[in-house]
Amino acid sequence: MTVKQAQPRKNVSSKDNPSEPFDAMPLRYGDDPYVWACWLYYEDGMTQGDIAEAMGISRATVNSYLAEARERGIVNISIEPARLASLTVAQELKRHFGLVDCLVVPSDDKARSLIERLGGAGAQALQRLLKSGDTIAVAWGRTVLSIGERALAPGLQDVTVVQATGGTRASFGYTPELCASSIADAVGGKLINISAPAIVSSNDIRDMFMREPLIESQFQTLARANKALFGISSLRPNSTIHTSGFFESVSLQDYLARNAVGVVAGRFIDGHGRAISGPLDERTIGISLEMLKNIELRIAVAGGFDKVPAILAMLRGGYANVLITDAATARGILNADGVPEIDQRGAHRGRVDSLPAASKTTQRIYTKKFLNNPDRVVDELLEGIVKSHVHLLHPIDKSHRALVARNGPRSGKVGLVIGGGAGHEPGFYGYVGKGLADAVAIGNIFSSPPPGPILRCTEAASGGEGVLFVYGNYAGDVMNFEMAAEMAEAKGIPVRTVLTTDDIASSPLEDREGRRGVAGNLFIFKVAGAACDLGFSLAKCETLTRKANDRTYTVGVALEPCSMPQTRRHNFDIGPDDIEFGMGIHGEPGVVREKMMTADAITDRVMDRIFSEMKPAAGDQVAVLVNSFGATPLMELYILFRRVEQRLNAKGVTIVANWVGHYCTSLDMVGASISILHLDDELTVLLNHPCDSVTLKMS
Amino acid sequence: MQTFKNNSAAAIVLTIADRIVENRAYLSEIDGKIGDGDHGVNMAKGFGMAAEQLKGQDTTLGQAFEVLGNVLMDEIGGSMGPLYGVMFTEFADKLKGHDDVDPKVFSSMLHAGLEGIQSIGSAKVGDKTLLDALVPAIEAFDGAIAASRSFDSALDALVEAAETGRDSTLNLVAKIGRSARLGERSLGVLDAGATSCAIILKEISIAAKSRLH
Repeated sequence: MTVKQAQPRKNVSSKDNPSEPFDAMPLRYGDDPYVWACWLYYEDGMTQGDIAEAMGISRATVNSYLAEARERGIVNISIEPARLASLTVAQELKRHFGLVDCLVVPSDDKARSLIERLGGAGAQALQRLLKSGDTIAVAWGRTVLSIGERALAPGLQDVTVVQATGGTRASFGYTPELCASSIADAVGGKLINISAPAIVSSNDIRDMFMREPLIESQFQTLARANKALFGISSLRPNSTIHTSGFFESVSLQDYLARNAVGVVAGRFIDGHGRAISGPLDERTIGISLEMLKNIELRIAVAGGFDKVPAILAMLRGGYANVLITDAATARGILNADGVPEIDQRGAHRGRVDSLPAASKTTQRIYTKKFLNNPDRVVDELLEGIVKSHVHLLHPIDKSHRALVARNGPRSGKVGLVIGGGAGHEPGFYGYVGKGLADAVAIGNIFSSPPPGPILRCTEAASGGEGVLFVYGNYAGDVMNFEMAAEMAEAKGIPVRTVLTTDDIASSPLEDREGRRGVAGNLFIFKVAGAACDLGFSLAKCETLTRKANDRTYTVGVALEPCSMPQTRRHNFDIGPDDIEFGMGIHGEPGVVREKMMTADAITDRVMDRIFSEMKPAAGDQVAVLVNSFGATPLMELYILFRRVEQRLNAKGVTIVANWVGHYCTSLDMVGASISILHLDDELTVLLNHPCDSVTLKMS
Repeated sequence: MQTFKNNSAAAIVLTIADRIVENRAYLSEIDGKIGDGDHGVNMAKGFGMAAEQLKGQDTTLGQAFEVLGNVLMDEIGGSMGPLYGVMFTEFADKLKGHDDVDPKVFSSMLHAGLEGIQSIGSAKVGDKTLLDALVPAIEAFDGAIAASRSFDSALDALVEAAETGRDSTLNLVAKIGRSARLGERSLGVLDAGATSCAIILKEISIAAKSRLH
């Protein structure tokens, strides 16, 4: 037994690993962060600080995981030898071949056949790795079919499963058609078959097939695949490749003579993973090795000692970046590639030092802010706004709590008044200007303005055709704006109101009118402002604004709380690994609290919720807003937008306009919201109408 | 019959304001558990501004309530601005013309405040709002007077019921306002409005008791 020194771990997450910490927990740990933490600590000898970094959690959490793992006996009971061996070997395979991930099943399970066990492991991997909107190319083989029989990935949307090669006659039970369709069934995906034989009789026939529009479109789908699933065939005499019927029309001797050791997706490779050209190249209809290598995530599933040379060749060629195999095969591959015996490595590296008791997180109580007098925050903010945007806005009175657009109100036009609490900058002064709101009333932080400033705004905005109020649906705002509306009516100014209710997480569909208004306000203000600017009647402006509100869908996710300037303390608690869906723009606790997950998983959750109400059809058009709650930087917003675009694209929905940035914030909250405006022709015209405000400028 | 003087009783409002300002952080903290955490800040701002205006002024309690109500209504916004604004404005209205405040006037004052709140808000008792402190407090006061108890004993009953009502919000699910979105998660947390209402009622009662003769 060779005991190798633990390597210092500089690249815990390899750079081509597309996922982030925590949700990106390597497959081999299953779903258990405690096991992961224990592994890194006891087996890898990492410090708690390094573990915290690797797992993307706080050091205090690592500490509590380790303590609790001990309490729960996770580390007292020694890790089951077979599993320990699998973990070790998987980690070594991953490191040695630079894989994104690797899953190794124990070899000494006599209860199930290897194919069954690999199928189960592949199914588990598929469940973790396949995401909504993916297109996955599926090759054929006994193992692939075994995965299809076991996989279950419910809750995915817009997955396309495309057959990676042409078809074969059904003389064996795992034809390309059957493999692709079993995976499609398992994941609820749309199935695209390749309607041609895998191998045809001549080059000319192949070219004819490839020119057929149907086949051409099927290959376009194949070229779009971002994931691939395939097995590996060996060319040893006992291999099923000889009996599979796939290559029945040709002799494999040609290929064997050229040192072929394996077959990947119907293509032959040599011991170094290089493609071997041969008589079949020009007659094969299916994914090429080059196409395969261009796919982002390539999952190979294969096991059995006879396949060691083939799998090794495949890994050397870089055809897979996720490998699922069994422990004996894995060791064989590593041995064959010159990696020393690693079986018992680590068994004697157990720690003897005792763990410090889980210490309470020492959190700083006060946040740092740029402040003078905490009680004058809003006044100073407004002073800054008025001075900064002197050409666009001017204060109606000395308090600056009511601002009017310099180029806004005019006679004969319906006036548009918006407003709400401070703390949402650039909400809502940013939406005041020509083609948008005429005036804005600003309250204290997260607090509705009182009726006085709202009334002054109404008078300033009035052009003799009435005034439209548009503001978020909050009890306080409703009370104050309603009082102001009554006062305005008493002064002869007709007022209509549209409450914005775009936060679809805040109440179920049945209580749609009870929902709160959040960042989707941007779309609703934009449409209302355009309608007013076009000189429509008050009633028509109201109808159009209501329509924009009905077709705007927002869901927010908070990662960290915000802190109020007066208290400089977080105004709610959120666990170190928790995130909150449905968070409002005042830090109102959200609807569901979950563990941290990847950006894509979060976006998928949000988009699934939006799609469930919006019910988009292919060909529909939308506007998209990815909005920061204040402390989330643009970098992350674009990561979210990227996924929003993928999801919409997968549904055939076109984004005609998008905004990514700080549009409706919650002080310094970490988090973001995604808003979709489901356009129709009328709304598109209004959305594109010119405007000129601090935040929105369109010409 | 015990009464207290309306004249020169503006100091009652100053002590209410002192208590609210003292409890600024506490009220914001409990509000932050299920709301947006601004209750203490906004209340302290409004009551502080009213106190500034009243300091050194020799006004009646009614006039002081009117100043407080107007400041809350005009300057604070949010939901508490209009709700407490209307309550104190109504209080002021009922004290007008009364030099001596007896239990009957005091009760009519409380009822007018309650009706004012109900005219602009839609909450009911049990919705986890300030009404959960105010409504039982008024009932307890009226009940004590009906049972021929003295004014000061009725004020004790009022305070006790307000605090019991405030504590009852711990076990209530919010039905109105922003915390209503939380459903069951609002359980186990005091309502900030009921808490500030209990503070206000307690300070009015203590001050009134000390002035009874």
